[in-house]
Amino acid sequence: MKDNKTANNGYKTVGKNETRVDVKCKVTGRAVYAADVQLPGMLYGYILRCFEHAHARVTKLDLSQAAKVPGVVKVLGPQDVTQKLYNASVIDLMASEDMGEILGDIEDQRIFTDHVRHYGDAIGAIIATSEAAAERAADKVIAEYEPLPVYLNATAAGAADAFQFDDRKPGNLAFELPEPVFPDNCHGWGDVDKAFAEADLIVEDNFYVNKQKQCQMEPNSYVALYDDQDRLQCWSSSQMPKLVQSKLAKLFDLPMSQMQLHQTVVGGGFGARLGMVLEPETCALAMAVPGRPVKVQSPREEDWLTSPSRHPGDYWMKIGFKKSGEPVALDAKFANYKGAYYLDGSGVAYTTGTWVAALYKWGNLRYRGEAYYTNQPVSGAYRGYGNPQSNFVMEQLIDRACHQLGLDPLEWRKTWHKDIGDEGWTRGVNYDSCALTECLQRGAEAIQWKQKRSQYALQKGTKRRGVGVAAVVHTSGAMPMLLEHTVVTVRLNEDASASVMLACSDMGQGAHTTLRQIAAEVLDFPLRDIYLATGDSDTAGYDIGAHASRTLYVGGNAIAQACEDVRRQLFERAAKVLDTAPEQLLMADKLIAVKDDPQRVISVEQICQQGTCNFVNPETGQPVGERGQIQGYSSYYPNHNSPPFAATFVDLEVDTETGEIKLHELVNSYDIGRAINPAVVEGQLDGGTQQGLGMALTEELYFDDKGIVQNNSFTDYKMLGASDMPKITNILVENPDPHGPFGAKSVGEAGLVSPVGAVANAIYNALGIQFTEAPITPEKVLAAVEEYGLSE
Amino acid sequence: MSSRVLTEFDLLFPHSLSEAWKILNQHGDRVTTIAGGTDTLVAMKAGYNTPYAMSLSRLPDLDYLTFDPEEGLRVGARATIAQLLDSSVVKECYPALWQAAKVFATPQLKNVATVLGNMLRASPAGDCSCAIYALGGKVLLKSESGQRRVNVDDFWTGYSQTARQPNELAVELQLSPPATNRLSAFKRLTRVNEDLAKLNIAVSLTMDGDTCTDLRLVMGCVGPTLLRLHKTEDQLRGKVLDKHALQAAIATVAEEITPIDDKRSTGAYRRKVAGVYLKRTIEQALECSEQ
Amino acid sequence: MMKEHAITLEINGVNHQINVASNQTLLELLRNQLLMPETKYGCGTGECGACTVLIDGDKAINACLTLAATLNGRSITTVAGLENNGELHPVQQAFIDEAAIQCGFCTPGMVMKSVSLLAANSNPTEQEIREGLEGNICRCTGYAKIVNAVQVASKNMVQYAGGEGGS
Repeated sequence: MKDNKTANNGYKTVGKNETRVDVKCKVTGRAVYAADVQLPGMLYGYILRCFEHAHARVTKLDLSQAAKVPGVVKVLGPQDVTQKLYNASVIDLMASEDMGEILGDIEDQRIFTDHVRHYGDAIGAIIATSEAAAERAADKVIAEYEPLPVYLNATAAGAADAFQFDDRKPGNLAFELPEPVFPDNCHGWGDVDKAFAEADLIVEDNFYVNKQKQCQMEPNSYVALYDDQDRLQCWSSSQMPKLVQSKLAKLFDLPMSQMQLHQTVVGGGFGARLGMVLEPETCALAMAVPGRPVKVQSPREEDWLTSPSRHPGDYWMKIGFKKSGEPVALDAKFANYKGAYYLDGSGVAYTTGTWVAALYKWGNLRYRGEAYYTNQPVSGAYRGYGNPQSNFVMEQLIDRACHQLGLDPLEWRKTWHKDIGDEGWTRGVNYDSCALTECLQRGAEAIQWKQKRSQYALQKGTKRRGVGVAAVVHTSGAMPMLLEHTVVTVRLNEDASASVMLACSDMGQGAHTTLRQIAAEVLDFPLRDIYLATGDSDTAGYDIGAHASRTLYVGGNAIAQACEDVRRQLFERAAKVLDTAPEQLLMADKLIAVKDDPQRVISVEQICQQGTCNFVNPETGQPVGERGQIQGYSSYYPNHNSPPFAATFVDLEVDTETGEIKLHELVNSYDIGRAINPAVVEGQLDGGTQQGLGMALTEELYFDDKGIVQNNSFTDYKMLGASDMPKITNILVENPDPHGPFGAKSVGEAGLVSPVGAVANAIYNALGIQFTEAPITPEKVLAAVEEYGLSE
Repeated sequence: MSSRVLTEFDLLFPHSLSEAWKILNQHGDRVTTIAGGTDTLVAMKAGYNTPYAMSLSRLPDLDYLTFDPEEGLRVGARATIAQLLDSSVVKECYPALWQAAKVFATPQLKNVATVLGNMLRASPAGDCSCAIYALGGKVLLKSESGQRRVNVDDFWTGYSQTARQPNELAVELQLSPPATNRLSAFKRLTRVNEDLAKLNIAVSLTMDGDTCTDLRLVMGCVGPTLLRLHKTEDQLRGKVLDKHALQAAIATVAEEITPIDDKRSTGAYRRKVAGVYLKRTIEQALECSEQ
Repeated sequence: MMKEHAITLEINGVNHQINVASNQTLLELLRNQLLMPETKYGCGTGECGACTVLIDGDKAINACLTLAATLNGRSITTVAGLENNGELHPVQQAFIDEAAIQCGFCTPGMVMKSVSLLAANSNPTEQEIREGLEGNICRCTGYAKIVNAVQVASKNMVQYAGGEGGS
């Protein structure tokens, strides 16, 4: 494998494909995921769920027969655990309480419910000495229900006579953009109605975006223990260990000092673990059997039911262009199906509109975002957070408008994308870097855009090729919408090696490796002398977790700041010993010397020794050097969110006799700022592409008309496999951002987004037909080809 | 039960056919026979209850795949899909079956799932079964009281039902001997490559020059069992299988199938593409002969 | 009470005499009874491949769909059995070198599948690799770098074994 694809600019480790810190234990099978945790005396918890109804009251729950099954230790109904309401999402902790009130954030979940609001809702649990015993006991549970009306879309839920899910949310409108902050409940600027009246071309349509599931490979497993110091310990692969610690402590009325979250190796997250999944239930079980660890291993088929999915919904958009292509107006409304509980209700309903506002120079814009309760497993955070939905809709309408005006969609995007100085997705935060034009140019060359567009325009026959493009802008951390904050402590050991304590999560994206590279680069220590100590809430400082593509950007700057603090302290101490000013000193190979007189030198190790264990001259009894262990500290709030831009190009073929789509080639062209570890960046683009293509073509969780989930298994929830994936070329455009660590911007989410619009636009190019419902399946393609015919 | 915990059953290991028959006679419909067991275990995790399971894994000599140009291909009860794929005889002489084995399930499942087990599952979507039906053959059923050979044409009697009686063991599939003028092919339609079929087709064509003197066309996923397309066969029998003949057959195919909506596709879609896919499968069989 | 079965099973070169229940899968035996957690539960229904182990040398199977009692006298290899005296198997090393590991949950199964694939076909084409990897699901890598790793491993293993045409 090539070592540096990028210029590397003389950095020691930044820009290099350093071997990841976690790969050896993963490739040997020794990495400890939550299900691998073994503790003495461990019991097994099985959560009872309603699989009979999507909406019902539990009128009877008889656990008495279950309790008698051999091996059963405890049976628990709603009354046997805390009845406190909570919100499993942790995004509410990232906004001020005042903001939460304005937004209407609520807590509406209980550990076990007597009001089943979705297929698979939890109604109780069994604790037993084995999983088999627990499941045998589950068979003996007698549950009776009073069915309630089922709502599976925004229109039905919002109807005047619909059953009200929550008195606090009339009309089952879980969220809309609040008046105080968004006049008329809209986000935007200008006068769209006037602009439409003056537009030369208007295109509009109604779209449906699908309920996609993360399907991370590690199923949901947890261990909890209420130990002999009255401390609640929980082993979890949460993306957000500090915030989950905080919520669990509050839920069980414990100070945080009595709650320890052990973050086990995270087997994928993608947003499914952006909050609590089954930690509350597992901890409740542990509290019921003090001193005994309880392990809950949720079967795969329950994953589709218990952790949040992407927000599906009805997405209407109308855009207005001048003949020149000038985008004068955009009007949109996304009514998402929130599912059974509020969770992060004020999130995606808002951000979906911000992504739309951020990418192109719309003269006037109006966006309305709403979330409706439905009797479906909850919608929450999934990589992209509203951006994939917007990409599917907006990128297609733009191509439709371009087609009608005879404009090249590639040239249009080059002309009209936002650029340096323009306002980004959040008010008042303008772009300080943007390499989208270069991304579009280089990507277009790689896919041979011009040749293919002319070639394909002339094609006939039953196999139709198409090449499409989509662009995206995302974010690196979510300031100022969320209170971005990461705390890092860097402690130098006696031998001048460093322990970096932080809560930042690596969920497989390589963060612990790249963060360590940043530490090594700033400290100018060899990689081997630095260890990232993560995963223990007792030792890590505050951090809002791995989401919003923030870990490298915010965590990296936080680490850099803490390392700069270490350097400052080292230089100050060295200056005293060497009798000079810190500005006169240079550090290299862990030696600090006077610039003009390198014989005057002290090693970092000496400074650390003097600081910890060697601070008295044995002969004179006088102090030597400066006593005190060196700890660098940063409590870091970013002042920007350095949005990355990107473009994706797709070349595909449609078989118009069967509707089948064959993907030939895909090019991602990405404005990364600086690739701290290029292989890590490529990995994110490769993986994001697989998920984006799945959203566009094959993935959807679906229900029958009673709300019973139909395809919660890999048998019928289909993702692209190894032999379905096209050839992917990833072009990393390095145009350093002034705010990112070493100029880096994020890549965690955006890689999923632009493939969605690019595939849809390639199909449009192939057929001259647009698809307003995702996923675009052969059934839909064939029906449309029959209805609309093909251009000859 | 769940995908983590199997239902409870007693697992019995006969060491001879007569022990196996004794178990079948003793337990009747309370015993499920498992060879590879992959389908059965999945069903058990979905709640399928059976007090007894009888594993064939300790029965000697049933894992054979033997070929004789006069007798055809003999497939023992424990022979796996992977064995089909590894066999150059199957690849050359029974291309439809080899092509079906190539796309069947996953490599892990191919190593364990048995050809006969797949037939006994009697799913209307069975890939290898579809090919076997087109190629033709006989299933050897043995019981304590004797044995009988059931023609493949009569083997699948209804949705998930076969001609096997509860006291019988299916011990061998014998595929008809190949002929140089007999071509075959298999194709299927799926959502993604690794998938259960939305539609599958196997064809076996007896050729005299360019003329097809006889043919067997089998389509899956369009009825409660795998379907012989008799009408379409009649229409094409004795004809030169050129573009026109195949195009004309497309409408006939749609007439004789009864596809429904299910998790993988819709009845309407299947009806629309069935004829096109049959045409392509026949073209694939004809192409292979030119190599 | 379900029937129990006494079996002898070789795992990673070590012989085990064990009693297993009728309905105990190999996965359950490995993880819960023998406390060997390197083989993962990913779906339990033979679709994700996280539980892939090798039987009788190099045949890949799903441990979640294998009844332990049927394995009397057989030999199983898990990912823990690939290392040789602390040295990683060429496939493992290739996965590391090609950055083919992200969250790592699919990795043990993916590595075992790759070993099996290369045992049957020591010089596979890219298409053969992609087809061979079906039955192992990865949600992190899009499979791109995994395919690279198998290609690299196939070249390295030829060298490892002393080159083509060697005895």
